[in-house]
This record gives sequence, C-alpha cells and structure tokens, in this order.
Amino acid sequence: MSNNSREEILHTIRKGLEGVGKNEGKVLADANRNFHSEAEEVHKRIDESQSALITQFAGELKEVNTNVIETGSKNEIKKSLLGLIKEKELKSFSIWESQFLKEINLKQELKDAGLKLVTAKNKNRIANSDIGITEVDYAIADTGTLVLLTDKNQPRSVSLLPPIHLAIVRPENLVRNIGDLFVILKSRLENIEDITSCMTFITGPSRTADIELSLTLGVHGPKELFVLTL
Amino acid sequence: MGFEEVRFEQDSEKAIHNKPLQKALVNVTNRFRTARNKASEDVPNWDNLRAAAREIKKETIENLDKYLLMLEERVKRAGGKVHWAKDAEEASQIIVNIAREGNVKSVVKSKSMATEEIELNNSFEDAGIKVIETDLGEYIIQLAGERPSHIIAPAIHKTKEDISKLFSAKLGIPRYDKPEELTKVAREILRSEFLNADMGVSGANFAVAETGTIVIVENEGNARLTTTVPKIHVALVGIEKLIPRYEDLSLFLTVLARSATGQKSSTYVSFITGPKRSTDIDGPEEFHLVLLDNGRSKILASEETRESLYCIRCGACLNNCPVYRKVGGHSYGWVYSGPIGAIITPQLMGIDKAPELPFASSLCGACKDVCPVKIDFPKVLLELRKNVVESKKGSTGIGERFGIRLWRFTVEHESIYKITNKLSYYFQLPWKGRNGKLNSLPYPFSRWTDQRDFPAVAKKTFRERWKNNKGETG
Ligand code: SF4
Repeated sequence: MSNNSREEILHTIRKGLEGVGKNEGKVLADANRNFHSEAEEVHKRIDESQSALITQFAGELKEVNTNVIETGSKNEIKKSLLGLIKEKELKSFSIWESQFLKEINLKQELKDAGLKLVTAKNKNRIANSDIGITEVDYAIADTGTLVLLTDKNQPRSVSLLPPIHLAIVRPENLVRNIGDLFVILKSRLENIEDITSCMTFITGPSRTADIELSLTLGVHGPKELFVLTL
Repeated sequence: MGFEEVRFEQDSEKAIHNKPLQKALVNVTNRFRTARNKASEDVPNWDNLRAAAREIKKETIENLDKYLLMLEERVKRAGGKVHWAKDAEEASQIIVNIAREGNVKSVVKSKSMATEEIELNNSFEDAGIKVIETDLGEYIIQLAGERPSHIIAPAIHKTKEDISKLFSAKLGIPRYDKPEELTKVAREILRSEFLNADMGVSGANFAVAETGTIVIVENEGNARLTTTVPKIHVALVGIEKLIPRYEDLSLFLTVLARSATGQKSSTYVSFITGPKRSTDIDGPEEFHLVLLDNGRSKILASEETRESLYCIRCGACLNNCPVYRKVGGHSYGWVYSGPIGAIITPQLMGIDKAPELPFASSLCGACKDVCPVKIDFPKVLLELRKNVVESKKGSTGIGERFGIRLWRFTVEHESIYKITNKLSYYFQLPWKGRNGKLNSLPYPFSRWTDQRDFPAVAKKTFRERWKNNKGETG
C-alpha cells in the first residue's frame, strides 16, 4: 500500500514539474561552500568581540525572563549553586556528564551537600526531581539562545523534565548569531551519521500566551531558567 | 466536524456579529502585527532575507522529487522509518497501524496543522486509542470539541471565562479564573499524560533533506515532551515542508520566529534526526516519518499557483488581512484560514468545494507585503478566481454574463451610453438613501446592497461638469 503511494506521489510531482527542470543536477547547490575555512573566519571574528558578546548575551537572556548569574571562577560556580540550592530548598538533581562538568566535579559537590542524584533513565524520577544541570555546547549571543546537543553523556530530559533548569555557559561556547552556529555545526559534520539524535535550542523558560494572550511561564517545560556564566 | 463544503458567506456573517470574537480578533492580530513589524524592522536587510527564503523554497519545490528521496534515505540511515501517504485516509491508517503494532494505549500530540488536516484524532478514537492534545490552546479546543481559529493562537476566540467554565465542566474541578491558575491545572494534568503515553505524534516546521532532520518550533515545551518521553515518535509532515541544506535553517528560523510572534527566537526549537541512538540515555526508541501528500503534488502542475507550497505557516498573512481580522478563522471552513487558507483550501480540497474562498479577499496585497516567502497572493487569487469561473460552479451565471455583454454594448455606443446615463439617474431615485447612496436595491442587485452601499449615478456626467467648469477643478 505504502509503496504504491510512494511511486504515485513521485510520479505526480515529476509530471507536474515537467518543463521546469532548470535546476537539473543542481540539487544541494552551494554544497561546495568550504565550511572549514568559513568556520575559521567565524572563530576569528568571535574571538575579536568576545567580551562584547558576553554582555550582549546576558542582556538578551534578561529580555526572555532568564536569571543570569555571573561567576568568575570554578569556585564561584559552586558557591552560587549552593546558594541557589539553599534558597529554593532543592533536594534532588540530575546533571550532564560533559567534560567540563566532570572537571569541576560538580556532581560530587552536590552529593556532598546532601542532594540526591537522579538519572535520566527513569522518566518518572527525573520528572519529580528539583533541578537539572547542563553545560551548553553553544550559546547564541544576539538571541540569548542555549544550544544543547544530545549524546551518551547529555540526555535530553535534564533540561526538560525538572521544574528548574540551570545551564552553564563558558565564554568559548559563545557565537555571534545563528548564522555562525550553522557554519560551525556544518564544518564539524564530517559524517552525516555523526549528527546528534536531538539538538535543542532554548531561549528562556517555557511559556504560553494561549489564554487571552496573557504571558504565563512554565506551562510544560521548566518554569525557571538559570544561566551561570563564567 | 468533517470537511464538506466551505460556507464562507454564512459563517462570516455569524462571526461579524459575535462581539467577544470581534474583540479577540482585534487583540490578537494587533498584538502579533506590532510585534512582527518591530522584529522585522530590527533586521537591516529584512527584505533580502525574504527574497532569499523565497529562492530556497522555489529551488526546493522545483526539485521536490529529488529532495524527498534524499530526505527518505537520510532518515533511514539515522534509524528512522519513512512512510508515504497519498491522502488523509491513508495517513491516518498508517499512523493508527504504527500505534497498533506498538501496542499503544495512549497518545500525546503536539500542535500540527497536518494532523488537523487528516483529522487524526477521530481515527485514533475510532480505533479505541486515547489521544490528548498537549499544546495549551489545542487542549482547550479539544475539550471544547472545536477547531483552531488561528495558526499560532488556536484558542484565541475563547475568553478566560469560557475556558474556566469548560475546565470545570470537563475536568470536574472547581472554577479557576486566572490564566496562571488555568495554565497550572493544565500543566499537572498533561504532565501525567506525557509520562503515561506510549506514543507521541508531532508535525514539523521543516524537514532538512541533507541531514534527514525534522525541526519543530514552539514556546511551551510540549513538543519537546511529545518527542522525548514516549517510546514511539511519529512525525506527520507535508511534502512541501522540505528545505535542502542544514545551514538553510539559520535563515528560515530567523524569518519564521520574527514573522510569527515577533520573537527573535522561539523558546524551543528541536532538531530531531532519527530515534535515540543506542548509546543515548533517553529519547524514543522508534522514529517514524509520515510524508503527507493529500493534494499537494497536484498543486505543482500549475505554474501560476505553485508558489502556494512555499508557505512556512507563520500566520503573518492572517494578522495583516482586513478580511481575516473581521471574520476570524472559522469562516474559512477548514484548518487553514486567512489569505493562506483562501488559496490553499480550494487547491487541496478541490475548487468546487470552496468556490467562495478565492473571493474572500480585497486583493489589497497586505499579505504579500508581510509574507516571509513573498507569496504573490493577488496573482494566485486571481488565477483561482478564474478557475472558479471556468469550473462553472462559480458566481457567473447567465445573468452576469448577459449583463456584462450589455454593458459592453452600451459603452461602445456613445449616444446610447448618454441616454442610459440620464435614464438611470432618474430610474434610481426611489432607492436613493439619505446618505446619497443606494442602500437597498431589488434582487439581484440586493446581493450587493445587503452588505454595502452602491454609489448613486450622478446627475451630471464628468464630461458635462468639466465643460461647465471650463476645465477648472473645484
Ligand atoms: S502564506 Fe506567507 S505569511 Fe501566510 S502563513 Fe504562509 S508563510 Fe506566513
């Protein structure tokens, strides 16, 4: 059944396009852009404007109801986090196992502070936990967007199911705009097979305006979003 | 609730007299319009972006067969399954079968016009499978048993009092009156639905041929939950949603968010390629892409109207349309409303099912000016009007054709024209209203004057006045 439809649909399309064919053989035109050299150029531009980008990024985050915590060092990250735990009376957490987060040993610190570690394997448990902690892969300065890539150390639910999401952003994660981001992503995509099962953009906490256009936060995803910048 | 025939004239009449609806329409369209205008002015080369987006859509549609095959191959390579559905019935059947094979008891859905189009919920219910809409607006609509009235804000025709009553009656809870309270109630109920569901059904805003990625844009997070928590994810995607290259997304996401709600970026964008990988900790085990034709491939054959398939469903044309702003979404009789509904419904459903819709426009072109892919609405509308007339089911009957011939004869003969002019001046007097216009003529002219005045024939013609004034104005 399905197979017949496939042929039928393709046939109708081809018939409808008879005589168009101008782009014949030019599918994926521009495929010869050199993303490696473009990415090098982009990185150079980003490096030149990094401190301005951090300011811009923080400004955009505030526009979209995100709490920005500026920290100067790894030690300050821990201090700010412990402060937040106390303030919000957090009892359980889930966390990504990215390189940097392992380096600063945040997981152990939080356990030592008495919080219970929850894994993303169990959806019910993580849904009932208090905070999810991630480190962004990229951050887009001119829109205040966090970019998260799923992999074996970075499950999707951590930024989705707990009521609070806290993301750590390091200066080297910043890009100027979405155009930069796709140049970099494309330059790193050697093999189509290597693409992540899920990339997520996050710009502010979950929101809706479906009832009389009145803005309400936290309808489905996290109600609060914290961004910790270094 | 199924689609039979669009009754624009009747339904728009009702809408115009519905006071709360009129208020809501003004609010929503003004809000979105102001936001879009500001967001597009913020971008220095906005018009270039629109032109570029249009070019890419043109390239996609003109090579649609190749890009569809590429998409299919890439999705399979990522571990997903691809299904092709030629019409609504087949698409529903495919999805219900996936559910049956997966032993699915309950389904969560995120917002998708395509699933509305195929009336998927009815098919699930017929199969005894529970299905829940999870976008807050759609959830409200589902509880009320209605249809969305705006692409971006589906429940905008309902007041918070309506929703409060509805929740209380359908969910057996006390009356809550604040939007925040109602939202909280919905969050709790829907959260447990997500955790219990065996399957999530989503649409997609884009499907990238090069990488096999489907892209979903939203603000609430329900699409993320739909595509993350249940063990099966099905995405129903119209075949026109393709874009060729991964990097094309940077352009399309920019114009979509700004055109739709005036946001620089929507709160969440998910880029999904296949099911979870074996090493991933969470995410769905199965990913199915259902490609929906349902009349789209036929639109390709017309060079004049092919561009209707470029639409990225941002809703900007609705908010800027003087007709939509008065008559609202339901008058258009089907899932797509406003200018895009006026051109896409007759083409998808057949021109004989919606002959009024191409006429539901003043041809002012406001839609064309805001459309992020620059669809030339006036051109497409005129072409469709021509088709309506040619298909005979349209509005020109023998009477109209005779009238036009008579008119032609008159204007071609000067003396007859002059006499007719004089005669009609005196002939019209009994119908002349206080405002100096004709406001109720007998049938068949009443079809005009029932809804608006007709200017009266002046006593002196322009030529006579010109002569008298010796060419001086005033
Ligand atoms: S036709 Fe253009 S303006 Fe209207 S919804 Fe589609 S993309 Fe937006």
